[in-house]
Amino acid sequence: MVAYTFQWHVVPESAGALAHGLKLTLQLSAISFVLSLVLGLVVALCRLAPSRPLRALAYTYTQVFRALSLYVYVLFIYFGISAVFGINLGTFAAGVVALTLLNSAYMAEIYRAAIQSVDHGQREAALALGLGHTRTFSSVTFPQAGRVAVPGLVNQLVDIVKDSSIVAVIGLLDLMGTTIQLVSTERAPFELYTATAVAYIVLILAISAAAALLERRLARHVRGGGSGPSPLERMQRYRFGGRVPT
Amino acid sequence: MTEAAANEAAELDLGEEIVVAEGIHKSFNRGQKEREIHVLRGVDLKVAKGEVLVVIGPSGSGKSTLLRCLNFIAPPDAGSVTFLGHCLTGEVPRRRPAERMRYERDLRFYRTHIGMVFQHFNLFPHMTAADNVALGPTRALGLTRREAKERSLEELERVGMGEKARQYPSQLSGGQKQRVAIARALAMRPQLMLFDEATSALDPELIGGILEEMKRLAESGMTMIVVTHEMGFAREVGDRVLFMDEGVVVEEGGARDVIERPQNERTQAFLSAILS
Repeated sequence: MVAYTFQWHVVPESAGALAHGLKLTLQLSAISFVLSLVLGLVVALCRLAPSRPLRALAYTYTQVFRALSLYVYVLFIYFGISAVFGINLGTFAAGVVALTLLNSAYMAEIYRAAIQSVDHGQREAALALGLGHTRTFSSVTFPQAGRVAVPGLVNQLVDIVKDSSIVAVIGLLDLMGTTIQLVSTERAPFELYTATAVAYIVLILAISAAAALLERRLARHVRGGGSGPSPLERMQRYRFGGRVPT
Repeated sequence: MTEAAANEAAELDLGEEIVVAEGIHKSFNRGQKEREIHVLRGVDLKVAKGEVLVVIGPSGSGKSTLLRCLNFIAPPDAGSVTFLGHCLTGEVPRRRPAERMRYERDLRFYRTHIGMVFQHFNLFPHMTAADNVALGPTRALGLTRREAKERSLEELERVGMGEKARQYPSQLSGGQKQRVAIARALAMRPQLMLFDEATSALDPELIGGILEEMKRLAESGMTMIVVTHEMGFAREVGDRVLFMDEGVVVEEGGARDVIERPQNERTQAFLSAILS
């Protein structure tokens, strides 16, 4: 090891600034997540629409925005677009736009797979009852697809939180941006990066725990409209020694 | 045709026709050369009020598709379906909004007045039995929640599932699921019931109960089209039998007649295979 004097006192001294950065990270992630949830669903519905041009458009969207890294999009949107169109988005807005475009493309694929996983008979049964296409989707298809999509969507949230650190590259003072700035003034890179890493880890683990809880709740009655226990029910039987909790 | 069957047929002709299908054609994967399957090749069908028509035939003969053409879940490519005075073809008028709206309204009329019971029950797994039954009445008929709930419990009670109203499908046996599915269809107060191999996915010991339920429904005067492999049921409860093979109606006649004395070779072969 090289001669390095630990200065852990820097961490509590910087707590205020770091907390402010964390708050920005949370805001950036939350807004991007909600927007991608909505936009992703819209894109997925276009992907499954009867109209061929609409399908092609949605397909292009998912392919384009999944093709490059967030790093490229953040720089492109903040510097590239603003240079050409003279729009100054601001770092926060640019971050939201980049995160939303990229993640909505991934989410669109998650939604699409989930919607397609719902048994065809479900739709038939709803139509046979006289429900229109919209009501069939809102009352029957989506509630089931949503449950299937939850784990994938939560994964996206975890990705958003982690990836949001990249937005620091355009100077946003989120948790990562703040840390980088503090490192350059305080000269305590190990201590500060460690503190930030711990903060990210705690945040992600908290999200995962909440997601697991949500999944358990939602998965209780999915499937089983046909015959036989679902894979999840089998798993629960195994875990709870033969009794399925209801 | 025997005399008895002729009388039976004559009697049926007097009845008011509920549904008439003419020249029904249906293909899947249309326009994809290799994968196109011509499932129905010009099927005609008539069902009078209160009549029970049993459709039999080997798998892949188009029985289930025929049922799905009647309520336009699988709209026919050609031919028309007349139901209680309305007449619809599979062609959706896309150009004019007014015609389109009338078409949609007719479609809703067909589907809300035609009940369907599926082989795999197709209950909505995220809803309780009561909510499964109440969904159609609230979302398609516009009943209030309270009215729909009352009707739902009433229908569940009728099929002996009153105590299971708050259970989810995953907590029910196959036979119980199918009872709920029948209640769900009946809650719409349909004029015609379609049964698509309603007992084929059930354990053998549960089949009898569902057939009993269907028989009771037939005796109450419900008009029914039943796709089934249960020949005992067909003979006992069916008024008429339609034998289908490779997308066409091969033989048609009084239920006892067709099952006990089939005239066509293919019918004979099918029945001897299934009854042996």
